[in-house]
Amino acid sequence: MADVNNVVEALKFMVLGMGVVYLFLYILVVLVKVQASLIAKYFPENIPKIPTPPVGQTIDEDENRRVAAIIAAVSEFRKK
Amino acid sequence: MKIKQIFISLLFAMVAMTSMSYATEHQDTTSVATEESSTKRVYEPKSLSELASSFWQTTGINALLDTHDGETTADPRGSAYETELNWFQSSLGRIIMILIVFLLFYLAIAKGFEPLLLIPIAFGGLLANIPLANMGGEHGMLGIIYNMGIANEFFPLLIFMGVGAMTDFGPLLANPKTALLGGAAQFGIFGSLVGAVMIGFDLQSASAISIIGGADGPTSIFIANRLAPEMLGAIAVAAYSYMALVPVIQPPIMKALTTKEERRIVMKTLRPVHRLEKLIFPILVLVLSILVLPESTPLIGAFAFGNFAKESGVIDRLSDTMQNALINVVTIFLGMGVGSKLAADKFLVLETMGIMIIGLLAFSAGTAAGVIMAKIMNKFSDEPINPLIGAAGVSAVPMSARVVSKVGSEAKPGNILLMHAMGPNVAGVIGSAVAAGVLLSIFK
Repeated sequence: MADVNNVVEALKFMVLGMGVVYLFLYILVVLVKVQASLIAKYFPENIPKIPTPPVGQTIDEDENRRVAAIIAAVSEFRKK
Repeated sequence: MKIKQIFISLLFAMVAMTSMSYATEHQDTTSVATEESSTKRVYEPKSLSELASSFWQTTGINALLDTHDGETTADPRGSAYETELNWFQSSLGRIIMILIVFLLFYLAIAKGFEPLLLIPIAFGGLLANIPLANMGGEHGMLGIIYNMGIANEFFPLLIFMGVGAMTDFGPLLANPKTALLGGAAQFGIFGSLVGAVMIGFDLQSASAISIIGGADGPTSIFIANRLAPEMLGAIAVAAYSYMALVPVIQPPIMKALTTKEERRIVMKTLRPVHRLEKLIFPILVLVLSILVLPESTPLIGAFAFGNFAKESGVIDRLSDTMQNALINVVTIFLGMGVGSKLAADKFLVLETMGIMIIGLLAFSAGTAAGVIMAKIMNKFSDEPINPLIGAAGVSAVPMSARVVSKVGSEAKPGNILLMHAMGPNVAGVIGSAVAAGVLLSIFK
């Protein structure tokens, strides 16, 4: 009889435990989504652009200089 | 010249006298304290054969062969808890345990099963089974380690701190719903709780054992200390050996529950995650656990601290220490301390068998529940979800994620699931800490 009671108790633990774990994780998922959308709204630039713009600019500048140099060289060559 | 010599010799004599008087004083106090031992200390002349035979009495060979030598168990709580060993524990049991230890060495070195855990544990087990040395006792090395951080739950928290500092929540933040898979795997804990009670364990012990299903060594130690301290050794050993055996236990279950097509599913690449999201996340988890379940905050608090230290980006020195030096030191101590419970008198009992079996069931059930949950999510989700990643919901970080990735790439070469599996994996750590908190709150 005691065994049967214990099993019932264990089943109750299971319901409570899984319930709390799921509730916890579900709230967490919702909060994470809310957080992600808030951050995307109020701090939109930070993530992709902070690393990329400086890199992009330097590449662009280099590229421009290179193009300028090539044009200059080509025009020098044609003048001759 | 002579005067100087005399002076120096006098000085030496004085020093010798004072130290001798100290020694005699010291001996007096000890002889008062333990009269019996002081009477034994008086040396009587012995013949060579007597000397040889008394030496024979102290050899390990004799201690292993002689089953009635009155040896006692070693207990880190002190000699009051020590009892005399029976014939099995003092001879054959030790030999069996030493063979088991060698098997663990083999698994760790030749098969590469989590050597970082298995070698310290197995070596601790080897030391704990040495006769007469009493290493697991209150003043033995293993006993000291045990009292230092296992008996008071300190080491598990430090490990959690280090794991927190090593964990990247990026994959979880990029695809938050995979966190629910980490929850499903906790079914292993509660399902095996029912099983353990059916076998005949009482509710508290059953709860402590079933935490093994979370595949989380630190949490298991933490809970076992609170709910069933007498089973701590077997529970810790079971939890860590199953963590080490993740690559053996999980793949058959994963393959049995999924079709080849499902295993081949390719998941979308994860979006990049904002640094602020990562920074806020540990605080978010901690606040949530403070509100819902303060019982779990020792574990989650340590975890969140480690992760926050990492993500803050300004205390790299500290987070580096947590991820490397600190967690390594603690792993050595934790392993050896857990290994001390591999002593024959503690390990070779019927309960251990029960614990190992329930632990295995718990672990398998957790894996299965995760995979099944992932299959269900795959059916209802618009993005494809490879069901394999559900197996990573057990919190053995990062082994189970690696196993998932390996099984996934076996089914479809080039399909890398590692980052996708990390989401449920780290959610599993949080989930098992929450489950632990629920169990603690029940027995409060």
